[in-house]
Formats: sequence, structure tokens, C-alpha cells
Amino acid sequence: MNKTIVAISTPLGSGAISIVRLSGIDAFKIACEFFTPLKKQKIIPRKMHLGKFELGENFEKCLMVYFPSPNSYTGEDMVEFHLHGGLVITQLVQSKLLEAGATLAEPGEFTKLAFLNGKLSLDEAEGIIDEINSESEAELRVALSSADGKLKKEIIEKQDLLKNILAEIEVGLDYPEETEFTQLKTSIFDNLTQIKESLDHFILNAEQIKLIKNGVNVAIVGRTNVGKSSLLNALIGEEKAIVADIEGTTRDIVEAKIDYKGVRFNFYDTAGIRDSSDTIEKLGIEKSKRMLNTANLVLIVLDASEKITNEEKSLIKSLKTPHIFVANKSDKKRVLEKQKDEIEVSAKTNKNIDILKKKIFEKVIGENINFNATTVLNERQLEILKQARAQIINVLNSKEDNIEILSLLIKKVWQTLGKITGQTENEDIISLIFSRFCVGK
Amino acid sequence: MKEKYEAIVIGAGHAGCEASLALARKGHKTLLLTISLDAVAFLACNPSIGGTAKGQLVSEIDALGGQMGIIADKTAIQLRMLNRGRGPAVQSLRAQADKIKYHTEMKKVVESCPNLFLKQAEAEEIIIDGDKKIVRTAVGDEFEAKVLVFATGVYLNSRIIIGKYTEDVGPNGFKNAKKLSGSLTKLGYKLLRFKTGTPARVNARSVNFKELEEQNGDEEIQPFSFITKKKIKNRAKCYLTYTNTKTHEIIQSNLDKAPSLSGEIKGIGPRYCPSIETKIVRFADKDRHQLFLEPESLTTAEIYIQGFSTSMPTSVQEQMIHSVKGLEKAEIMRDSYAIEYDCIDPQQLSLSLESKLHEGLFFAGQINGTSGYEEAAAQGLIAGLNAGLKLEKKEPLILSRGDGYIGVLIDDIVTKGTNEPYRMMTSRAEYRLSLRQDNADLRLTQIGREVGLVDNKRYNVFLKKKNDLEKAISKLNEKLKINEKLINFFIKNEENPPKNSIKVKDAIKRSNIDAKKINEEFGIFAEFSDEIIAELNLIVKFEGYLKQQKEDIEKAKKTEQVKIPNDFDYYKQKGLKIETMQKLSEIKPENLGQASRISGVSPADIAVLPVLIKKHEGEKNERKNKKNV
Repeated sequence: MNKTIVAISTPLGSGAISIVRLSGIDAFKIACEFFTPLKKQKIIPRKMHLGKFELGENFEKCLMVYFPSPNSYTGEDMVEFHLHGGLVITQLVQSKLLEAGATLAEPGEFTKLAFLNGKLSLDEAEGIIDEINSESEAELRVALSSADGKLKKEIIEKQDLLKNILAEIEVGLDYPEETEFTQLKTSIFDNLTQIKESLDHFILNAEQIKLIKNGVNVAIVGRTNVGKSSLLNALIGEEKAIVADIEGTTRDIVEAKIDYKGVRFNFYDTAGIRDSSDTIEKLGIEKSKRMLNTANLVLIVLDASEKITNEEKSLIKSLKTPHIFVANKSDKKRVLEKQKDEIEVSAKTNKNIDILKKKIFEKVIGENINFNATTVLNERQLEILKQARAQIINVLNSKEDNIEILSLLIKKVWQTLGKITGQTENEDIISLIFSRFCVGK
Repeated sequence: MKEKYEAIVIGAGHAGCEASLALARKGHKTLLLTISLDAVAFLACNPSIGGTAKGQLVSEIDALGGQMGIIADKTAIQLRMLNRGRGPAVQSLRAQADKIKYHTEMKKVVESCPNLFLKQAEAEEIIIDGDKKIVRTAVGDEFEAKVLVFATGVYLNSRIIIGKYTEDVGPNGFKNAKKLSGSLTKLGYKLLRFKTGTPARVNARSVNFKELEEQNGDEEIQPFSFITKKKIKNRAKCYLTYTNTKTHEIIQSNLDKAPSLSGEIKGIGPRYCPSIETKIVRFADKDRHQLFLEPESLTTAEIYIQGFSTSMPTSVQEQMIHSVKGLEKAEIMRDSYAIEYDCIDPQQLSLSLESKLHEGLFFAGQINGTSGYEEAAAQGLIAGLNAGLKLEKKEPLILSRGDGYIGVLIDDIVTKGTNEPYRMMTSRAEYRLSLRQDNADLRLTQIGREVGLVDNKRYNVFLKKKNDLEKAISKLNEKLKINEKLINFFIKNEENPPKNSIKVKDAIKRSNIDAKKINEEFGIFAEFSDEIIAELNLIVKFEGYLKQQKEDIEKAKKTEQVKIPNDFDYYKQKGLKIETMQKLSEIKPENLGQASRISGVSPADIAVLPVLIKKHEGEKNERKNKKNV
């Protein structure tokens, strides 16, 4: 096959490292779009390379191995990225690779390729088939269980809108002497915009739900010694982070998890942001900065008993992630200027910690989230919807006025959505032509 | 005594003519049997060839070395390009053909073709004796051949219906084939019963044309065939008229007499070719329906009323016709009738159009449940060709859906079957943009040459076009120098002028500019024909879409390359649903791509199949190796 597939190959969200694999003819090319070895050296097959994986404004430091065909697991060109554990980075890397042209691997596809390329013995066929079938069934179950296939039903509605447009165009093209195109275009673009909005909604909802399932990542940041670690401990109610009065104790990100109102929150205590000459601490600081950009929410911890520093001001200025100000040490005399969207707490006395939790919840999840949301999408469905949305945007932006080309582009959207609903039979469009229009000699 | 041939083609309609010509031209001694010599290549319905999607089929037949396009050009009395301006790939040529001349010209070609023997006889029974296939005729003669092509059209067990009147005949009162259906059933073929119809013909002298809208041919005429040199002239006019509320009232009050609605007709009719009574019942809100009046021939006064097919009794037909503007005093020369006939379920065929039940038996045309002259001719050509390749012990030619409409047509009927007479439509072709009339030769002539259908003359025309096009393409990167003339050219065409010299290609991409305009202004393509310039224009204008489609076609080809072995037993496979096993065993797809298009086969099944096939082949090899040890 010509395509290049990608998948996260380690269990999601657990483990110290996670591996993202690419297999296919463009694996190396796609990988090199993002990865540069630290010392800019040439990449040698089957050797680990330390380097940077570009993630827009940031990068992830990771290890990369390239296995040229045929000496790889699948027999195709393969690339593996060994990333820091944790869901956010891993998924970010995968989504970058998808954007660059890789497609999400089908259930059991890596093993299947290995088998088809003669890398596995014939006895292993049955296991592979079981794997494909059970994973497909699991996916199917997800699709069906989403409140009696409500998602499917809603997507079919969108497909039907597209189908109607297609039938209208196609009848004109196949029966030019019996039909006229009248004001067709406006309805096409209106309909497409409407479908796009629905997809936006689905995608947003799905991403929120994903957040709930996988956990919300909250980074705690602040000047050294403002009490980040104490705050973390107050939030989780146990002594996990090292709490000391010496500046720069917390050199690494510490993760702690709490379940609040049914949502998992992962807290990351970052090293204090300050200029340090200590190399180990430097590394920790670099990591903290990265964390700030990938988290779902940042808690900016300030010392209520002190004035805001320039360091803090510049941190606040540069921060693009949604955030909440936490004025800690409310047990002491207030000196700090009142911040917008601020909560005054005392990690020491636990004052207002519950209010903070509630605030975090509202900020990320929103007050109106529907926990029984029917549109639980799996990774692949989400990917398909995103693809369909991109295709619609493409039609809307193309300003195409050639009716035949429009039809071609819209049909692509219809087919993409069909991957979710299973409705891709061209005959459906033809049937619609004959049921809606009186044509034929 | 049995007369021996290499091949026998049964039926000399549009499929039979192409099939037998392909066989004979490949050097095989071929017998072409027809129930009536007067029915050879008979245009039993519309006096017209081509139209949307069908025009593409004719071009493809022509590109492969078939006959239809040449005869259509020769006998055309009016030509129009449909969909001009609506899109590059949906433009389709349609000709009003002189029905009498079409028959005589095609018959002439068949009669004069070396190796081809045309004979009037009704095939009655097929006897299969290993490699030998014997055709016994109604009079008791026997003919023997190694391969047979069935191209029996709508003649199998056919009967026509006009109101309460029904008669066991073929179209136009020709004799029907009474026993061949039975012989096919005996051989194990599953038959379907389909229905179609044809409208009345009226005398031109009785039509008040003055009241009607004229439909003229194109001023600039493009032929079907890539090798037609002679300029074609429009020599006839068509006219447009409409049914009206009075017509509809007449039909409404006589619905009880319509056999197609009363259940008297059991055959399944096509949705795209409904009788007028069906249209009026199903689309009651429409207060009028379009009717085209088409001349049947320059040598007859008969006028065909397109859109008015009915199986009403003649007394009602007459009232209906007389209610239409311009036809008030029309003299009816032939009555409209419905016709029912037997055909086979095309799922019994492989992609080569060879039967899955019997090696050496090929089927083409309406017997496969299709409708239309062009669909028939296309299958005829492929069935004849593949019968010939079979005789030569060569692999059959299977055109993919990305190769052409012919590929789409055959794949559709063979893979999915059909529950109504199948008509080609451009909407059926997923790679429509790439499958255009203008590039049919570029897509198929090389293939036709390789399988021995394309003669030197056609091949040289093709090579010249190909070379010219390549040369023209190489000029696309030349630059138009920035100067006053260039700026004025852009302004004149309402385009922002470039700031610097601009590549020809980029200039063509501007929406108000095309290759023709550039050539007229700068003479850059002066050495090339209009055809080449038009082709070039399309290639540039739709470059991105065409490239994308090419990738899609390549991707699809990959799945077609995963062959499913003949001895692959679906019921022995673990991991397939019973339902899938049944479907797949029934259709026996030849490759993974075809399997994926069978309705009811899921993507998960398609994911599993390659693993099962690999295992099957691997184990087979292991067994073989053991034996060798």
C-alpha cells in the first residue's frame, strides 16, 4: 500500500516513555519534517538519535530511530519516536504526523503489514485476524453504544444534506436537456457552512470528552518559593511534592492526580521559573516552560504577601494557555495587587482550596458540560470528522464555480463521513436522483 | 455435418457486431448469427447515439479500435455537444443517427470483414462438450466453436405489450428467440426478466413544426471517432414540445388500461426511462413533460417522440398524442409498445465478461441486464476481445474503473448486479474528471494496440496526438515576456496583469484566460491543432484535481493487485462473518478491490482478507514444497 500509517504504540497515559510509530513509504520524509537531531548529524539507520520534535512554537526533546525497509517490523520504512510519557505530548506528536500526511493505523495494521510482508510465520495469521476483528468490534461497539448510534444518526443527517446537493448537481449533469441549474450554488454554500458548524460542535464536544476521559492537565507555575508544592499537596491532600524553604527544590515536574466531579485532573508542579546556572535545574526549567504551553490550564501561583515581580509580569505576559491566578499565603498580610480572575487561598491552612478546585473545573470543563454526552467519539472517528471539516473548508475557500468540480469536492466530504456511518454507496445518490427528479425519456 | 469456427457470436445487434468484429479482426474465424439480417445493428429505440456518459463510452470503444464511433460519425444527421460550459468531463457528444443508414453501414462493415461470416439463423440450444461448444439452430443446423459470445439483446423470450394486446415477438415485430432462454436455464444460468419500451413514430408531414421550438446541431462539429477526418454536416432538425394538462387528464382517466401499472407487465423497467404514465403518477405535481421530436432517417418521414413511451392501448395513445402541441393531427405510423425479455444475472460473469459457470462462454449487451446501444457495444467489444484472447491462450483485458467508463460499467454489473436495465451515467464514474471523451484515446489506444485491436492507421493518429501533446506541454514552462502587449492582454481579459514575465502555464491558470486565447495573441501553440490546445488547457486548468484523482486511481489499483485465488474457499476461513462468506462465495471477486465494492462486505472484512489470502497461498506453497521433498 502507498500510505504511511501512524499510531501510538504504548498504552495511553501511563509509563515513563511512550512510543509513536510510523510505517510506510513516506515514514522517513514525514518524520524529518518535524525531527532534527540535536547535533544536526545525519540520521543513521537503526541508531537512536536524540533531537527535537517541532511542535509549532515548542518542541519535544525525544529519541528517534529509523528502520529502512525491508529490515523493520512491518517490512516497510519505519520510524519510531520515543517520547516522554504522558498523553498530551504523545497525542500532539501523533496529530502533527497526521497533519503531515500520515493516516491513523487501522486496528492491528502494523502486525498485519508485518505478516503480509513475510515477517511473521503463517501460524500467526489467526492471531492477527482476531486482533483486527476484536479491535474493529470494539470500535463498532463504541459507535453503536453512543446512545443507540446517535452519533451515526447525526452524521447520516449531514450526509443526507450532502447527498441532496449531489443529487441536484448530478441530475443536471446527467440530464442537461431536462434540467436547469437555478440558484443552486447559494444553497450549496449555506448547507456546507451549516454542516461545518455541526462538525465544529462534534469535534469540540469530542475533545472535551476526551479531556474528561484522559484527564485535564493543570500546570502549577510560579516564582520559586511561592508555595507551589504546598498548594499541590493541599489540592491532592497528601504529601507528594517535596516541600522545603530552599529555592529551587522542585527540579522536576511532579504529577499528581485527583478525581473531581468525575473528571480526572493531572497536576504538574513545575520547577520555579528563574534564571539558574545549575544545569540540572536548567533542564527542569526548560521542561516547565514546555509544560505551560501544552497544559489545558495553568495555575499561576503568586505570593499574596509580596509585590508582583518583573519575572512574574513577563511570565504572565507570555502565557497563552488559559490560566487562573492563585494568591497563596492568604494567612499572611496581603501586599499583592488584586489580580483579574484571582482566588485567594492558603495552602497552609487549606483555606479556599475547595473553591479553587471548583474554579478549575468550571474554567476547563465549563458549567454546562453534558456528562451523558452521546457523541463519544473514538480517535479514528474524531480524525475522520476533522478530515471532513478540512475538506468542507477547502470547498468553501475554493470559491469554485465549476459545478462539476464542486460535485467532486462535495462527494469527497460525503465519502469521508461515510467512513463513520458506512454509507458510501454511490447508488444512494443515483436512487435519490430518480426519486426526486422526473428525468428520462 | 457440423461447421466449425473458432468463435460464434449469437446476435448481431450493437454488442454482437463489435464482438464479432473484434474476434475476426484478431484473425479468428467467427460466425455471427442473427435472427434477422434486417435487424443487424438496428437502432430499435432512439435514432441517436451518445449523450451523457454514453458519448464517453463511444469514444472509448473507438479508442480501443471498435466500430461504433466510425459508423455514428458516418451516419450522423445532427451532432450536439451536451453540457458545453458545465464542466470538462461531463461534456458528451450526442448524434442523431440515420437509423436506416446506421444499419446498412454497420452491416456492410460486418459483411466485408475477413474471417467474419454473417448468417441468419435462430440459435436454439447450446451444447457444451468440454472444449467444444455447439450451437444448434431452430432449423437443426449445428455449428461448433471453442468460444461463444451471447449478445442476444432483448430477443430472449420477449413479448411486446400494447394495452391488452400482447405478442411473443422481439422489438419492432422481429421474430424473438423462443428456446435459447430454456437452454441457458438448463446450463444453470439464473435469469432475470426486464422490461423497456419505445414511443410511437409519427409521419413528419402531419406534424405542425411551425408551432414548435427548433433544436439545431452545433455549429462547430466534433466527431466521435478519433480517426474521422471528414467534416460532418448537420442535416436535420429536432423539435421540442411538451405534454400538457389535457394529456395528463387523458392518461389519468385511462390508468386502468395501462399494463405497466396494472401488474400485467411483470418485468422490471428502468427508473431512468419511465413510461409517460409512470412519470405522471410519480410526479403528479409536474404540469408538463418535455418531448423531443427526432427524425429517424433522411430516407423516411418517421419521427420519434422521445419521452412519450407508453404501453397504453392504441386508442388512448392516439388521444394522448393528439393532445400535444404540434401533434394535433399527427398520423401515427408505429405504435408505442412495452417489451419484456429475459436476461441473465450479470453477477454470474467475471470481469472479463466470461461466464463463471462455463469457460469459453462470454456474454455482452442487454442479455447482461444493461440498456442502451453504447453500453451494449462496449461490452461486445470487450467480450469479443477476451474471447479472442482466450483462443490465443492469453490473459483477458480487464479495464479498471480508473481506465474508463467501460471499466465502471462492467465492474458495476458484475460486482453488484442490477435490478433494472442498467444505464451508464457520469455520476457512476468516481474518476469522472479523468475519464473524458477528449482523452479516451490517450487512456486506451495503447492498450488497444497491445491486445491487437488497434490498426496502424489509428495507432499513428494516436502517436501523433501523443507526441504533439507532449511537445505542447513542454512549452508550458516558457515565459511570456513582460511588455505592453502582455499587460494589455491581461487587461483585455479582465485579469490583473503580472508584474514580471509569467510562465505560460500560470497565465493559463487565470480564470479568464485559456490556452486558446494565449495562442491567438502570442502564437505560442501555432503548430498545434485546436484539439491539442483544448487538451492542454484542460490539463493545466484542472491540474490539481487531476493529480489528486491520479493518486486515488493508483491507490485503487493497489487493492486490485491483491488477487483472490480461484481455489480460495471462503467457508473454510476463520474470522469472516457467515454473511460475508456467502456474499463472497457467490460473487467470487477476482481481487480485493472488487471484493470491497460488494454490498454487505465491511471494511473490517477487507482488512482481514489479505491476511487470509496470504495464509492460504503460504500453506499451499508449503504443501507443494513438502511434495517436492
